[in-house]
Formats: sequence, structure tokens, C-alpha cells
Amino acid sequence: MGKKKQTIVVRIEISTLLGTNGRINNKKVDRLAMVITNLHNSGKHVLVVSSGAIVLGSEKLKLPQIPNEQIDMQATAAVGQAELIRCYQRHFDEYNQIIAQVLLTSDIIDYPKRVENTRNTFNTLLDMSIIPIINENDPVSTSDIEYDDNYPLALIVANIAQADFIVIKMETNGKYLIVPGNNHKAIVVDDETELQERIDSYCQVLVPGDITGDIRFPSSIGEIVFNN
Amino acid sequence: MDYREILKNKQRIVVKIGTSSLSYPNGRMNFHSIEKLAYVLSAVRRQGIQVILVTSGAIGVGAGRLGLTRRPNELAKKQALAAVGQAELMKIYQRFFEEYNQIIAQVLLTKDVVSITSRNQHAKSTLLKLLEMDIIPIINENDTIATYEIEFGDNDTLSAIVASVVNADLLVMLSDIDGLYNADPRTEESAEIIHSVLKITPELEKLASGAGSSFSTGGMITKISAAKICLKCGIDCLITNGSDPAILFDVLAGKEVGTHFVANTENIAHHV
Repeated sequence: MGKKKQTIVVRIEISTLLGTNGRINNKKVDRLAMVITNLHNSGKHVLVVSSGAIVLGSEKLKLPQIPNEQIDMQATAAVGQAELIRCYQRHFDEYNQIIAQVLLTSDIIDYPKRVENTRNTFNTLLDMSIIPIINENDPVSTSDIEYDDNYPLALIVANIAQADFIVIKMETNGKYLIVPGNNHKAIVVDDETELQERIDSYCQVLVPGDITGDIRFPSSIGEIVFNN
Repeated sequence: MDYREILKNKQRIVVKIGTSSLSYPNGRMNFHSIEKLAYVLSAVRRQGIQVILVTSGAIGVGAGRLGLTRRPNELAKKQALAAVGQAELMKIYQRFFEEYNQIIAQVLLTKDVVSITSRNQHAKSTLLKLLEMDIIPIINENDTIATYEIEFGDNDTLSAIVASVVNADLLVMLSDIDGLYNADPRTEESAEIIHSVLKITPELEKLASGAGSSFSTGGMITKISAAKICLKCGIDCLITNGSDPAILFDVLAGKEVGTHFVANTENIAHHV
């Protein structure tokens, strides 16, 4: 395997980007766009998996609350997908970072041709210094929409992109969880500065020669083994 | 019989707009055209007609965003540009539709939406729900995972599939040609538009596939096969020039523009 750039999948739960009023907090999105662009600027390949289409769709449609019927959620997500990517676009533009929108359904793993297409798209985007923003394609998804849980999608993206880490911005405390592949222990870091430092130092330990072919990740959040 | 009368009472229409109607020949976005499209579709929706837009153009917008001067040939590059451009294209649509207070939704589909039953059901119920909510769904192929329309159809086939999935009663394909001609209009001065087609015969298909008839990425052939899908499902289909999207008003007023493929409602093959 040649010298591959370290690849990081960052998983964002929309709840980490909301203010106390339940609406999108632009300051938080802006900060996130900065942190992610900076990771990318430091020479890593970065892909973002984000939820949020239903929340933004509800905002756009001025719904009093998040719908809970499957069909309403799918329709709201179709409205919100466009809003969500527009929101990210606005903030990444501030840092002169171009993003792309990719919508996937979790059954993609059953279609090898689609996995190949998607991997090609990812690789090309990353080579062009573009950050792909990936959402679950809820409007056509055949599985039940799991509101705000996109770890499974992050895992699929990590596998397709052959990522080295999954970084999760945690809902409970806003800290970052770094999950390295291949049974290395996960660590929690307090803020963006530490995130950047830890990833840099991890990258020196996990030299590309270390990684042969497929990289395995815990199959659910519950299976993540912590270091501290 | 005046077949155009039928077009006056359409309740659920799918409008497909090609790359050539959204951009200038130099590849740059034609905002004037997009703004007009947003106006026309919002106005039609307000008349109580349900509207779905199938749009191309993501690759061109992506290329513009990245400052590329020409469209790449390599497939993966096109896919990447489509992913960049899709986000950008939706932003542009959002901006223009907001002017008319019209909410839009984004739905990215693949062709297998007809063949995989569960997917068909989900996509169908989402689209119908959106229509019921007075929202205009804007559909494109999900180019990241599937590449059919990038390579062949410029969304012609997809638009017919969408029309069949939602049981639309009309598909209007807006492109850079005025309709189907009885001869090549660029070489034969006497060439005339065929205004009504009742049956797609082998001769007609030959006309469409004749030399010099591939005017746009999709060309006439993919449009004819789209019309075929429509007719099989009892859906009227119309091909006309979209350089001024207001032509849609004429279509829905029963005026004789473009080529109308007339659905034979007495002989409908049962569809999905």
C-alpha cells in the first residue's frame, strides 16, 4: 500500500449544533466548519457524516415539533436536506472550503457496484481537496428512519472510504471521541485544539505501513472501548 | 380530434429540464432561465396543479464552482462534480423559489426505484406526501451511487420513471429542441414539427435516431424512450423547447407547441 493520506470520518449529530431554543446555532456550525476545515488543511482527508435534515426541514416548514410518523419524517427530510447542505455551505464558504453533498442509504453495502461508485466519488472529491458531507438519504430509505443516530452510516462511510479514524462529536458534553480502527482504544478529548493534537500524534504512530487493507471499526457505539 | 384539449385539465405534472435550458452554451449558469422556471412552476402550483421538477445541471454547476472551463470526461470526476454541483444547484433553486414563497424539497433517486418494490413504495409515498403539502420536489439522479443518467440519459429516462411512480398525468420535457421533426431541420428546409404522436412506430424511432439528431446530451433517442414509458403507463408526454420556461403556460393552455405524445387512455398497460 502506497502513502495514503490519513482519512478521518467526522460524525456530527445535529443536536450538537442546536441552541437552547432547539434551532440551529450558527455560531456552533461556524466553529465546526472551522475545525473540520483545519483538520483538512493539516493534510488529512476528511469526510463528514451529518444528521439534521429532519430538524432543518421542521424549521423550514415551521412545524411545532419534529414529526414522528415515518412518512412525515421522510417528507420533512426531503425539505431539510437542501436546507442542511445550504447551511453547511454557507459556513464552509467562510473558510474557503468547497464541500459536496452525498446521500446514501445504509443498504448500499448490498450493492458492490454502488460501493465502488461511491468510493470512486469519495476518492476523487478528496483528491480535489473537497470535503464530502454525507447524509442518510431518508426520503428513499427503506429502513426506519432513526432520528439522529447516524453512527451506522458513519461506519459504512468509514469502510467505503477506508478511513483510519472516526471522530464523533458527542451530544452529551460536546467533547470529541476519537475512535481509531483495528481495536486501538478510543479516547475522549475536551476541545478542538486537543483533537487536532491527538490526531496528529496518532497519525505518527499509525504509520501507513501499519495499516494493511481493511480497517475494522466497532460495529456500534456501545462496542467502543475507551482508553480513559 | 384536438388532442391538445386533454392538456388543459392536468392535475399532476412532471417537468424535466435539461442542462441546455439551465446554462449558456459556454457552460455558465443561466440565472435568468432558472428564475423564470421558478416563477412558472410556482405559478402553476398555485393554480392547484401538483408539480415535480426533474433537473439536470449539477455537473455544470459543479464545474463552475471549481472554476473548471470544461466538463471532464472521466466518470469519477463527473460524479465528484455532480456532488459539488448538486449542493450548489439546490441552493440556487432555493433562492429563486423563495422569491415566490414556494417550498421545495430535494430527492435524489436511482433508476431502480421502479424495480425494487420497497424502495418504490418509500419514494412514492414521500413524493406524494410532499405534493400533498404543496411542496415542489426537485429530483435528480443520485450520481454518487449510480451513473446511468450521467452516461446516457441526461435524466430523460428518470423523468419518465418518476412520472410513472407518482401516476402523473403529464410529463413535459424541456430541452433545446422545439420538438420531433419529420426530417432533419438543419439540412431539410421543409422539415416540420410533428405536433401529435399517437403511436411510437419503428419509422418514428428511426427519425429520432437519424444522423444529426442528437442535439443535447440526452438526444432525441432517450426522449423517445421516455415517451414510450409514459405511453405505456397512460401518461401524456410532451417535448418542447425550454429556452423560455413560460412555454409551460402554453402547454397547459392546450396551445400547439412541441411534440405531444398522446396517451391512449383506453389501452393502458397496467403499470407499477
